[in-house]
Amino acid sequence: MTSKDQCGIFGASSVEMSDEDILAAMKSISGYIDITPSDFQEIYGIAYRHAIERLSHLVKAEDIMTRKVVSVGPDTPLSEAARRMDEMNVSGVPVVDETQTVVGVISERDFLLKMGAEKNGSFMAVIAECLSNRGCVAMPIKGKTAKDIMTSPAITAQKGNTISELSKMLAEHRINRVPVVDDKGRLAGIVSRGDIVESYCAKVF
Amino acid sequence: MSFFRKMRGLTKSPPRVSLFEMVWSWIGSFLGIAVIAFIHYQYLDSFDMALIIGSFGASAVLIYGAVRSPLAQPRNLIGGHVLSAIIGVTVYKIFSGQMWLASALAVSTAIFIMHATKTLHPPGGATALIAVIGSNKIHGLGYLYAIIPVGLGALVMLIIALIINNIPEKRRYPEFWL
Repeated sequence: MTSKDQCGIFGASSVEMSDEDILAAMKSISGYIDITPSDFQEIYGIAYRHAIERLSHLVKAEDIMTRKVVSVGPDTPLSEAARRMDEMNVSGVPVVDETQTVVGVISERDFLLKMGAEKNGSFMAVIAECLSNRGCVAMPIKGKTAKDIMTSPAITAQKGNTISELSKMLAEHRINRVPVVDDKGRLAGIVSRGDIVESYCAKVF
Repeated sequence: MSFFRKMRGLTKSPPRVSLFEMVWSWIGSFLGIAVIAFIHYQYLDSFDMALIIGSFGASAVLIYGAVRSPLAQPRNLIGGHVLSAIIGVTVYKIFSGQMWLASALAVSTAIFIMHATKTLHPPGGATALIAVIGSNKIHGLGYLYAIIPVGLGALVMLIIALIINNIPEKRRYPEFWL
């Protein structure tokens, strides 16, 4: 599966065990165990991959998503959006209309792209632009609103998407977070790369 | 892996069991064989009946010496012996004119059927073979061979295994029934 190749965690082989480790374990169990260490290696390896596979299908977006999402409206001034993102210490927020339907996403990158960093949307590109043009870097977007810079349509996930599907989404679209919507497209939560990492710490290892 | 490379083997042999394990294996197998041999020689022999056959020695290795093994579980012990006995008797009835063929067919078909029924028990192969190469007394039993000595003998050995293997705290039997 492609998601496995893209996300290191899925492809990771099981903890390496030597024959000595297994022999030591077999010795500590009373009674004759009629398998060889390599039988055990084989069973363990397959069972481990099976467990990873099962857990990655078991954990769904709604289990790991952040439910209290900071969002902005399409007409929210960028000054206010930026302040809100700063206050909540997030690097991206969904843009929702009055019915809570997700219409786009704005992230730090969207700001940077409109502030002179046309090519890669990196902060360094903005610095370079600023230093060579002697101007306030935020001037080009002053007075604009969320809908002017948002990435739209937004890439969204369903509540029932599994953790492996979410990982694939993030990797394929090179995004750091994906809004989770209900059946009617209304914002229900958000899953960030961090949420996925944390869910692995809690559920797999 | 190439054909000849595979013959070199690739892993280590399992560790030796503790003296405790050896002693309890000895006690279990001594009592298990003692009971069926006693009944056989004291009571049944005079009626020209049998309760002990060679393959029970092999069963003793498993059910008293490797009690956790899937091959040693009650399903395998009883199922493996009884099914193999039926196959052995059937093969002898049909192919007794060709003893080499009957011998080979009895063992190979017994293994096939034990696999198919998830009752693989190595001594079953011997039980099937004895039905073919055994004495006239065995041949005379016909399908009764599958009940006495095979079924009943295996059952007595099982009862001893259930009692003896569960006395020490660190041992348990069986792992599963069905």
